[in-house]
Amino acid sequence: MSLLSSAFRHTGRNMLQTWKSQVMTLFTVSLSILIFSFFYLSYFNALHIGQELGDDLRLIVYLDEEPSPPLQEEYRRKIKKFDQVEQIVFVSRQEAFLRFEKQLGDDKDILLDIQQDFLPPSIEVYPIKTLDSLSRIKRFSDYLYTLPGVLKVQYGKDWIERFYSFIQLMRIIVILSGFLLIMTTTFMVAHTIRLTLLSRQRELELLRLVGATDNYIRMPFLFEGAFQGLIGACLGIGALYALYNWIILQFSGSSLFQLFPFSFLPLPIVAVLIVASTLLCSFGSFSSARKTLRL
Amino acid sequence: MEQQEQAPNIIIDLIKVTKLYTPDVHALTDITFSVNKGEMIFLTGRSGAGKTTLLKLISKVETPTKGMVEVDGIDIAKIPRRNLYSLRRKIGMAYQDFKLLPERTVAANIAVSMEVVYRKNSFIIKRTRELLEQLGLQSKINTPAAELSRGEQQRVAIARAVANYPEIILADEPTGNLDAETTGRVMSLFHDLHQQGATLLIATHDMSIYNDQHRVIQLEFGQQNSYQASGSDISTQATNY
Ligand SMILES: Nc1ncnc2c1ncn2[C@@H]1O[C@H](COP(=O)(O)OP(=O)(O)OP(=O)(O)O)[C@@H](O)[C@H]1O
Ligand SMILES: [Mg+2]
Repeated sequence: MSLLSSAFRHTGRNMLQTWKSQVMTLFTVSLSILIFSFFYLSYFNALHIGQELGDDLRLIVYLDEEPSPPLQEEYRRKIKKFDQVEQIVFVSRQEAFLRFEKQLGDDKDILLDIQQDFLPPSIEVYPIKTLDSLSRIKRFSDYLYTLPGVLKVQYGKDWIERFYSFIQLMRIIVILSGFLLIMTTTFMVAHTIRLTLLSRQRELELLRLVGATDNYIRMPFLFEGAFQGLIGACLGIGALYALYNWIILQFSGSSLFQLFPFSFLPLPIVAVLIVASTLLCSFGSFSSARKTLRL
Repeated sequence: MEQQEQAPNIIIDLIKVTKLYTPDVHALTDITFSVNKGEMIFLTGRSGAGKTTLLKLISKVETPTKGMVEVDGIDIAKIPRRNLYSLRRKIGMAYQDFKLLPERTVAANIAVSMEVVYRKNSFIIKRTRELLEQLGLQSKINTPAAELSRGEQQRVAIARAVANYPEIILADEPTGNLDAETTGRVMSLFHDLHQQGATLLIATHDMSIYNDQHRVIQLEFGQQNSYQASGSDISTQATNY
């Protein structure tokens, strides 16, 4: 008889005896995991969409005068002071005109009478495509506007900013639901463990009388918590996978998913979720056993 | 150090032990005696004299109000809770109220004391069979403890106490519910264990189970009176309060 095998036997016995509350706990744990991982899945996919949209995202800073090379350096320095950027490109009046001409294509005749320097020079700033810097894009634009010689700052489309604030919101929801997950699972697990403990108080007292160590007494409860966390997480993620497949099926005809691929959580994230839930529930049961048994 | 002052073969040492149950029940008053390794001692006295209390003090189920209890040279009051198991493993106690797990089988009840010290399954099965045979309970091996008669429960409690060959066996009224033949079985089990070197302290009302050779400690109103069963007092330490 090793510590482990007898702990496993005790765990099995405990769980059979309190199976009703075990089922309740499993249900709560899997539901919390499902809610959390559903939000996380949405967030995860939204991030991907964000990355694709981000490709044509840039800030255009119109200047009143062509900057000289030292002034260009100065602008570069000031831009980098606010945030790291991927790239800064200076566009002269001439270049702007040529681009415009190209854009007009066959209609470029209308430009014949016009001076080649009617377009203002500009700086194109490509921000780094991380969520953080993208979510600051409005503030970035406001900052750029305060630089000397700036006429106007233009950036992408308004809805990109809105999209990113949506992602911000998603992030808050994910964090909150994660918090909720932690609270409910640890509470529920601690609660069932407490029930088990109380229903077995006599036996635990006897174990102590005949010379059981604290670990011998505690271990089954640790296993019980770990088991609930593990099975609960697997059930919750299983349910999410079913939900995911259902969504895919519902929208299989629409072009939405051709535009934005909707993928399931990658395996490492699934693994992290399961491990985290297992650890969390073990912790919940352990601390509950500690308190109830006053070990 | 008090440990070094002791004779090396003293295994249980009580020094001026007093136990008060709140508010004012004087269960034991100034009890002092020592038990040598390998001794078999009987503890007698009227109901309410404090026999059970005394045994509980030795296994630290209760703590003395005053005085000191040493087991194996260690002041048991100083054993921290997390190390209590080391004391409890030295001692096998058969409780007066048995403390069996009613819904578990006889075999499971006996196995508990061996499981907690991680005995192999084969050992547990062999030892359980052996004890049940010796105590005449073979046919009850898979019966839930709740379905046993009191006498049967008593024997299961005894089997659990001795199963793991503890150094010290504390038996509280081990024959209280038994007929003469079964009492004989229990006592022969105790004598075997005594032969093998165990120290036994047996609380009893049953004068038939001890004889002239045994040391007897008699408790009266929580005070003690020890004598060789023949009647010649070897030490009388009754004190007044
Ligand atoms: N937990 C307790 N709380 C209060 N008083 C107690 C408690 N346990 C025992 N007592 C009292 O202490 C005294 C001694 O009790 P104890 O059980 O030690 O007697 P005993 O000698 O074992 O009696 P018996 O032969 O009937 O088993 C009794 O007066 C009893 O009422
Ligand atoms: Mg008693």
